[in-house]
This record gives sequence, structure tokens and C-alpha cells, in this order.
Amino acid sequence: MDNDKFIGELKSKLKTIITNSYKDLKPELEKDLNAFLETSREKLERWFTLSASGDITEEELEWLIKSQLDLVTLQTLQTAGISKIRLNTLKNNIAKIIFKVIIELIIPVV
Amino acid sequence: MKISKLNLASFLIILSFTITSCISTKTALYDHYSYQKTTELKVETIKLMNAATQPYTTHKEEVENLLLDLDKLAEYEKNKPNNEITFAMCKVLSDKEKNLLAGFFKRWEAKGILSKAFLEESKKQVSDALDLLIQYEIKKDKESKDELLNLINLNA
Repeated sequence: MDNDKFIGELKSKLKTIITNSYKDLKPELEKDLNAFLETSREKLERWFTLSASGDITEEELEWLIKSQLDLVTLQTLQTAGISKIRLNTLKNNIAKIIFKVIIELIIPVV
Repeated sequence: MKISKLNLASFLIILSFTITSCISTKTALYDHYSYQKTTELKVETIKLMNAATQPYTTHKEEVENLLLDLDKLAEYEKNKPNNEITFAMCKVLSDKEKNLLAGFFKRWEAKGILSKAFLEESKKQVSDALDLLIQYEIKKDKESKDELLNLINLNA
């Protein structure tokens, strides 16, 4: 699977999950998610390739995705201030969703 | 007498503006010590991370010293007024359950040795995180200058 297709599928799966499970928070969550995907796209693509080729393990891939979310938290702290950090639980859910989607996409490739 | 009452009133108005301006400054002032310590911490962290393809046990003491330096910096930042954001950023870095600086060393300890590919990727993550902390400190310098300029313009 090429990287554009991977990001496209990741986005569409995440949007479906948000629409189904977080309807009440959809606009806010979608905004956060788009920002995350925009700043993380290059890294996610690279990690997807490394994972698919077996250079990093599934566990390492999960660690890196979570580190990217922690980095986004720091970035939000730096730009928006502490009062705006209120999506911590959802952030963990996003990490789980992204990891699950990546693993589902990688497994047929490996 | 009238003039001196007028002067007193002007003085009080200026004083109240000055106090309001000071209260509205919510960010701590730029601190060169914080900037220097964070920069040093970044250099030492990256140097030590490069050794993660070797057994953790051979670098255990260096890791412990580095984490102690990070804790000292966090404690320093915690006690500065209006410095909640920097302290919150330090806490993310020093939290072993998160996946940045302390989290990386926890993983190295647990795995013994880390792969080259994983090391290169995680190094970028930790380096970016420390850059955010350094940039935030520099930003405070600009904010402090802007606040000072506002104060000068207000009292001009």
C-alpha cells in the first residue's frame, strides 16, 4: 500500500469512528485530529514503512505514535496555554485508534 | 495646592495602570538559567540516547544523573511564579509513563538494548520535545519585551 493511500484510509477510518463514537464532540475532535495528522503525516508515513518492512516492531511503532501525541501536547501547551489542555482522555483514545488502524493496515502487507 | 492634587491624581492613575499591567502579565519572565540548563540537557540527552544500542547497564549511572538533572530543573521551574506552562512541559518530559525523555530511558532499561531504527526515530521525538521547551523560554523574552513596551507606551 502506498503512503497516500495509507493516510487516506487512516483519515477515513478515524472520521467514521469519531462520527459513530464521539458524535457530541465531533467538531472539536475532528479539528484536533486534523491538526495531529497534518503535523504528523511525514512521521506516520515513515513509521508505517519501517513497520511494514520489519525495521521496527509493532510495540516500537505504538511507542512512537504515543510519543507523537505527547509531542502534540507539548506543542499545544506552548502555543495555547494550559487551560486549553482538556482532551487528555480523548488523546489516549486517538492513540489507540491510530495504532489499531495502522496495525489493521499493516497486517495484510506483512 | 491644586497643582499638587492634580499631580497626585496623575501619579495614582499611572500607578494603577502600572499595577494592572503587571497583574495581566501571566507568563514568567525569560530566565537565562532555565534556557542554559535546558539547552545543556538537550545536548546531554541526545549524546546519551546515541548509546542506547549498547547495554543499558553500562550507562545506568549516566541515565540516573541525567534524570536527576531533569528533576532539578522541573523543581526550579515549579517554584517560579506564573510558570505553570513550563512546569507542565517539564512534567511531560520527566514522566516515565509518557513516551518522551524519561519514557525513552525507561524503555531502554526494560529492553536492555534498543534497535538502531527505533533509536533514530525516538531521538527525533525527544529532540523536538526539548526544542519546544527551549523555544518557549525564548518566547518569554519577547513577551517580556512586549509587556515592557506596552507599559512604557501606556505611561508615555
